[in-house]
Amino acid sequence: MTARTTRSAAHDRRATKSYRLRRAATPYLFVGPILVVFAMFYLWPTLLTVGSSFFTWGILNPWQTQSPAEWDFVGLGNYGETLADPTFWNAALNSAIWLVVFPALVLALSFPLAILIWSAPRGGGLFRTVFILPMTISLAAAGVVWSLFYNPDPNKGVLNAVLSWFGLEDLSFTLGPLEFHAGRWLSDPGVLHLGFADIRFVNLFIIVAAVWTFVGFGVITFSAGLTSVDAELLDSAKVDGATQLQLVRHVIAPSLRPSVIVVAVISIIFALRTFDIVYVTTGGGPSTDSEVLGMLIWDQVFQFLDSPQGGLAAAVAVVMSALMVVVSLPYIRATLRGRS
Amino acid sequence: MRLPRNWRFLALYVALTIASLLWLVPLATPMAVSLLPLDQSTKGWWRADWSTVTLDAYARAWNGGLNAYLGNSLVITITSVAITVVLGSLAAYAFARMKFAFKTLLFGLLITTMIVPVQIILIPLVPWFQTLGLNEGAAQYFGIALVHTAFGSGWSLFMLMAFFSGIPEEILEAARLDGAGEFTAFSRIALPLALPGIVSFIILDFVFVWNDLLMGLTLLDSDHRPVTVGLANLNAPQLNQDDLISAGSMIAILPPLILFALLNRYYVRGLFAGSVKG
Repeated sequence: MTARTTRSAAHDRRATKSYRLRRAATPYLFVGPILVVFAMFYLWPTLLTVGSSFFTWGILNPWQTQSPAEWDFVGLGNYGETLADPTFWNAALNSAIWLVVFPALVLALSFPLAILIWSAPRGGGLFRTVFILPMTISLAAAGVVWSLFYNPDPNKGVLNAVLSWFGLEDLSFTLGPLEFHAGRWLSDPGVLHLGFADIRFVNLFIIVAAVWTFVGFGVITFSAGLTSVDAELLDSAKVDGATQLQLVRHVIAPSLRPSVIVVAVISIIFALRTFDIVYVTTGGGPSTDSEVLGMLIWDQVFQFLDSPQGGLAAAVAVVMSALMVVVSLPYIRATLRGRS
Repeated sequence: MRLPRNWRFLALYVALTIASLLWLVPLATPMAVSLLPLDQSTKGWWRADWSTVTLDAYARAWNGGLNAYLGNSLVITITSVAITVVLGSLAAYAFARMKFAFKTLLFGLLITTMIVPVQIILIPLVPWFQTLGLNEGAAQYFGIALVHTAFGSGWSLFMLMAFFSGIPEEILEAARLDGAGEFTAFSRIALPLALPGIVSFIILDFVFVWNDLLMGLTLLDSDHRPVTVGLANLNAPQLNQDDLISAGSMIAILPPLILFALLNRYYVRGLFAGSVKG
C-alpha cells in the first residue's frame, strides 16, 4: 500500500505539461515511421488508382493529379465497360476456378497430411520439413519446375513418361459436356462445357502447381492447431473403443476449426492475388484460356502500352481489392482478437 | 475393426514416405536436367548415363547474366527486410502495448496490406517513382524496398504483435520505474525477449521478397531486376535450353532454401505464431 502511494506521488511530480505531452506523443514515434512509408507507398497509390478509375488514360499518357486540364472524365464508365467486357468475365471465371479449387485442394491435402504427421510417434519433424520445403520456392521457380514436369514430350516430362508406361499418353475422350486430352497439360488438356461457361482444365493444372507450394502452410497451421487437441478427451475416447475415423471426426476436427478458417482465408487471398505462376507457365494462354484477374490488370496497362486502358485496369483492381477486403477482413480481425 | 498397433504404424509410415517421395518428384526433374548434358536429358533423365554429369549448365547460367540478377535479388531482399523489420517491430510494439488515438483505424488500414492484391498500387507507382526520383540507378533498390515495406507492414504486425504482447507487463514496468524511457524499455527489454519472433519474421519476409516477380518486373529497369524475372525470361520452351532453365531455377531456389535449412526451427515457430492455437 505504502509502495503504491510513493509510486503515484513520484508520478504526480513528473506529470508536468511537457512530460504528459511527451508521453502522449511516444506511441506516434513508434508507429510514425511505418505510417509514413505506408502512406507514401500504399495509401497514396491506392487513392490514385481509385481516382484514376474514373478517367480514360493509358500508361504512355498517365492520369496525373497535377494536370486537371488533361483529365478525360468518364465517371463510372470504366466500371460499366468492365462489367460488359467478355475478357473481364473470362478472367473472372478463371479466377473463380482458382477461388474454389485452390483452397479446396490445399485443405484436402494438408488436413490429412498434418494428422498423419501428428500421429507418427517419431520422425514427424522430418516429414513436415518435406512438405514445407516448396514454400520457400518462388512461384516463378515453381512455374519452371512444373513446366518441366508437364512437358508434353514423354522423354522429358515425368507425367507423360509415367502415362506412356501405361500406354495412356494419348488418352483422349469426349463424355457429354466433358472433353479431355492427355499430354498437353499446359496448352489444351480439355474443357467442361457448362452451357453458360466453359471450365478450361489448363487452369486446374496450374492450380496443382500452386497448391504444391502452399500445402506446407496448411500443414504447419494444422500442426499448430493439433497441439491444442485435448489429450484427456482423446485418451478416454480411445478407451471407449472409438475408431480412428471417429476420433478424427468428433475429437480432432472440432478443435481444428479455427485453423481451417485461417488456411481457407489465406489461401483464398492467395488464389485471388495469383499472377506469378500463370505468367511463367502459360502467360495466360493459350489465347486467354488461363488468364486470371490479376493478369488482366497487368496486361491492360503494361502489355499494350499505346492502348488507353489504364482506367479500365484501375477499375478492375478496385473491384478485386474491395471484394477481397470485404471477404477476408472480418476473419483476420477475428483471428487477431482470438489470439490476444 | 482395428488393426494391430504395429501394423497401423507401419501403414502410417508407408503412407507418409510415399507422400513425401511424390512431393519431391517435381523437384527431381530440374535437378537432374540441370546436371546432365542436353543430349542425355532429352531422351529421359531417368534413363540417362550418369557418368556424363556436368556442372556446365550452372556455369553458363551463372555467366549468362544470372549472377547479376542474383546480386540484385540479394540487395533488394536485404534492404527490404532490414527496413521492414526495424519499422515493423517499432510499430508492433506500440500496437501491442500502448493506447493512442485512432489505434483501431490505423491498425485496420495497415492490416489491409495483407489482403489486397499488389495490382491496386502498381499502376500509379510507375509515374510516382519518376516524381520521387526513384526510377533510376541504385535508387530503384531503395524504392522497391519501401514498397515491400509498405506491403509487408500488415504481415509484420500480424506476426510480431503476438510476441510483444506475450511479454509480462511487470518486466517493462520495472524498467520504467528505474527511469528508463519507453524507447529504452523497448530496445533493451522487449526486443531481446521478442527475438525468436523477429528472427522468424525475417525468414518469412526474406522468402516473400525474394520470391516477388510482379513488382520487380514492373518497377525496375532491366539492369536492376531480381532473379525471378531472369527466370521468367529464361522459360521459353521453344529455345530448347532446358538445362539452362533448370540450373537457373536451382540457383534461384538455393538462397531461401539455405536460410530455411539453417533456421528451420524459427521458420516453423514463426508460421505457428501466425496461425491460431485453438
